[in-house]
Amino acid sequence: MDFIRGIFEPHIPILDDIKEKGVRQTIEDTANDSVRRVTAGLDIPALRGMLRGDEPGRPNPRLTPHADGFWLHMRPGFYNNLVTGLYPSFRLGWLSTFFLTFEIITGVYLMFWYTPSPLVAYQNMVDILSTVPFGRLMRDMHRLGAEVMVAVVALHMLRTLVTGSYKKPRQFTWATGALLLWVTLVLSFSGYLLPWDQLSLWAVTIGASMAEAFPPEVVGQTLNLLVRGGPDIGANGLLRFYLLHVIGLPLAALVLFGVHYYKVVIHGHSLAPEDENIGEDTAKKVPLDKREYFLPTIATRELFYVAGLTLLLIVTSAWFYHAPLEPHADPQVTPLHTTAPWYFLWLQGMLKLGDKVIWGVIVPGAITTISVVFPYFELGPNRRYAARRIGLSGAAVSVFVLAVLSFMGTPWYAVQSSADQEVLAELLPQTHPGPLLNSDWDEFETGTYEAANWQAAPTPALRNILHEFNESLQRHGDTLPNAEGIMVVENWQSGLRKVTLRVLWDSIETGEQTESSQSTYFHQDSAHEVTTRFGG
Amino acid sequence: MADAEARAESPAEEQAETTLPLTRREFLYYLWGASMAVFMAGTGGATIWFALPRFQEGEFGGVFTLAVDQIPPANSGPADFPEGRFWLVNNGDPILDDPRQPEVYPVQQGVKALYKVCVHLGCLYKWVATNDRFECPCHGSKYLLTGSRIDGPANRNLDVFIIEAVDAEGNVLTRTEPAMDGREGTAVTIPPEAVSLRIDTGRRVQGAPNTAPGGGL
Amino acid sequence: MKWYIGLGLGTLILATAVAAVLAVQEPARMERFDAAFHARQIENGASLFENNCRTCHGPQGRGIPGVAPALNAADLFDGSRLQAVGYAGTVEDYVRGTIAAGRPVPSEGASYPQRMPTWSQQFGGPLRQDQIESLVQFVINWEQTALAEAGATPSISEEEAVGTDITVSLPEGDAENGQLLAEGSLGCTACHVLSTVGPAWAGEGETAGIGARAASRIEQPDYIGNGTTAHEYLFESVVLSNVFVVEGFDPNVMPADYGRRLTPQDLADVLAYMETFR
Repeated sequence: MDFIRGIFEPHIPILDDIKEKGVRQTIEDTANDSVRRVTAGLDIPALRGMLRGDEPGRPNPRLTPHADGFWLHMRPGFYNNLVTGLYPSFRLGWLSTFFLTFEIITGVYLMFWYTPSPLVAYQNMVDILSTVPFGRLMRDMHRLGAEVMVAVVALHMLRTLVTGSYKKPRQFTWATGALLLWVTLVLSFSGYLLPWDQLSLWAVTIGASMAEAFPPEVVGQTLNLLVRGGPDIGANGLLRFYLLHVIGLPLAALVLFGVHYYKVVIHGHSLAPEDENIGEDTAKKVPLDKREYFLPTIATRELFYVAGLTLLLIVTSAWFYHAPLEPHADPQVTPLHTTAPWYFLWLQGMLKLGDKVIWGVIVPGAITTISVVFPYFELGPNRRYAARRIGLSGAAVSVFVLAVLSFMGTPWYAVQSSADQEVLAELLPQTHPGPLLNSDWDEFETGTYEAANWQAAPTPALRNILHEFNESLQRHGDTLPNAEGIMVVENWQSGLRKVTLRVLWDSIETGEQTESSQSTYFHQDSAHEVTTRFGG
Repeated sequence: MADAEARAESPAEEQAETTLPLTRREFLYYLWGASMAVFMAGTGGATIWFALPRFQEGEFGGVFTLAVDQIPPANSGPADFPEGRFWLVNNGDPILDDPRQPEVYPVQQGVKALYKVCVHLGCLYKWVATNDRFECPCHGSKYLLTGSRIDGPANRNLDVFIIEAVDAEGNVLTRTEPAMDGREGTAVTIPPEAVSLRIDTGRRVQGAPNTAPGGGL
Repeated sequence: MKWYIGLGLGTLILATAVAAVLAVQEPARMERFDAAFHARQIENGASLFENNCRTCHGPQGRGIPGVAPALNAADLFDGSRLQAVGYAGTVEDYVRGTIAAGRPVPSEGASYPQRMPTWSQQFGGPLRQDQIESLVQFVINWEQTALAEAGATPSISEEEAVGTDITVSLPEGDAENGQLLAEGSLGCTACHVLSTVGPAWAGEGETAGIGARAASRIEQPDYIGNGTTAHEYLFESVVLSNVFVVEGFDPNVMPADYGRRLTPQDLADVLAYMETFR
């Protein structure tokens, strides 16, 4: 009978509260309760008190979201105020995380319009740049973020090395960090292939050949085939790199990052070496007077950094930095002067030293292993700079060597093809538009021009190009005796001109005049500078 | 990687641990763990097998058949076969007598199918007629029409595909053979009865080692 | 601390303003990129045309009679060619389909002895989809000039033409110019050098080139032409090609109107070039 009555006389708890406290109080209490649940510990008065800047009560309710909530659980409740200043090198870890998140967000935006198939990938890129509103902005931000992230992660590593923050008990934090650097590099490298243009395809083909060089031979061959999914990088290879870029490496990054950050927090942010006693790791125990609480102080600052950096990235990508888009990938033709992305120039430089097994696999492998495990072989707990002269010198030398190797990786160093090809490639490079196609079309008047006579050319653009042509011929004077350069500009179709560059010289072996020439077509509207890196 | 900090154990505890008898439960756990490890290893192997590429027959990876009139005339430049990813060269005496040719490699008259991929890091080298040699645009490796390396960071001569010269009935008259220790495929002299060449792009003979500056061992 | 909040607020407002500015500029930017990309397609198409199409369709797409039709022609863009073949789609689709699939089977009414090759990789040809698209854009870019001009190569008057009398004496021939003519607007090389539609001019192995063969051929018992010297043999083979057709080749394949299209100097140049093939 009670049960039947229960159906017709339901018990609504809130009516009890209203009867007891009145409507207004009930609403206030319900609101407070909801807010406390959402924030995991702060009801409305506590929240407002925080936003007003009042002193927190004791116990401090602003620590509860950390203890009881999911989102703030791993973040420290308070920082030592010695590490909260915005020094040039602190906060790089935070910045690395910012960029990881930024890349994930911009990456997902791009995933809306990209399919990893060689049949459509390039056209997708063109569509993103031409028919998707804010498409170019997203792509440029993603590319800019990637390049800056590599630099930031490397600088963070350097800072940690210099301040000796890798020492016990933070060795494993360092190890996961070194692995995160590699994950960042491979993330950047795998993304490089996705636009499927000439530079992408060949830079990644060369890089992936490193996999083939892995000794012993069977392992190398299998690794190479697994990475490419075929004899060369084609549809399967693109898909595999896409999978790595979009899920494989991000998962690895998240796992490694989780371990890395957790260890940062449980050991505490390491203080500057001069702020603590030698051998004592006092970072974890923060005295009351040095505490700076996450809520609201640090949180506000972080939100501000996010806003500021986002604005900076948007402004830079909108007006100052543009990701390039080279011609469509051609598996039949390798362009002259294929260069690795800047963060792999050191590897390309090393490869020019000799055998690819030694310099491409063994030496980089050794460097990686040493850099991951060396904290476990450290000599002492003293982090002061004066006590680590040898180590710091070693770090400085390593940076210098990396810089030298990176220079060696550029096309400037070593590898020369025949001089006439080099001269032509300076004006008409095979991996990007180059000075000629970036000139003003209207100033490229039809006619035949001699490089030596550049001053007589009718327009500034022609004078510039012919001047460069002439300089280039003179620079290669010893391999191109009696060199002459001729440029012919003809009208070809409406809005289209044909430009032919001819290099004539006396052959060293036979003494006869030989000629090498290359033509290109130049359209009025082609605006090549729009897709060069720092164009308009 | 396990936590690096070791816990100090009292001698008594250590003693107690080593004298604990192995129960059936514990043993079964270990056995189960071992079987899981074996299973994971198997899964790993199966995954690699799953992910290895499948080679298509009839396309690159398969056999290309050419009539003998498609062979370039002797001593002209190489003939391009992009679908098969090889250059077909027909070497006569002037090429074999080239002063740049390193002495140590056996060279003979005939036809070779040079794999277009540079043996250094996988770029496609180009034929540069003005310098009468192949040049790779990536790191500058240079090769002659015989396939011998004469410059650059490559560490061996060009790889060749196996050519079989076939007569009208389909009998194989002659084929590419390795001439140096399983490597360095020979040029194939085309006998007069041959009507076609079969070039197997699934079988490659690696070039002989070549690391000296200017070419050679 | 307050300045963080203030500055944070300011940054957000600024970011919104920047986004609004970009939003306003976006349509124009996208259009510019579209135009730039289209221009680049034309550039790539020009290069592809030179390397793949010019030998049959002629320099500047003017066509080579008997080899391939003109593309830089009014009748393609004003719809009359499409009407003649009964095609119902757009000019662009017609061009794209023809390039991609080629002409494995000749169009009715056309007398082109050579089949147009298939170009798209989809059907076994050498070009990717984006390359075909570039070629299409390049061809379509001729629309303005094609419709403006009358089209085709200017013809010469009957008094200027060399005619079909092979005993007429010709001026001194310039082999270099002859080569330009043969490879260019006359289309000789399309059949006699680049394919096997006509007897090969170049010698191969033991067979001599056309220049040397001409002398021996008039001695052969099966020669039914009227030439008495090697020079006359060549003269006749150009202007009266059906009088003697070499064994293994068909009559009525070679264009029969060269006598009407060539001046004596042109013909002399071409013969001089042919005679360089030993």
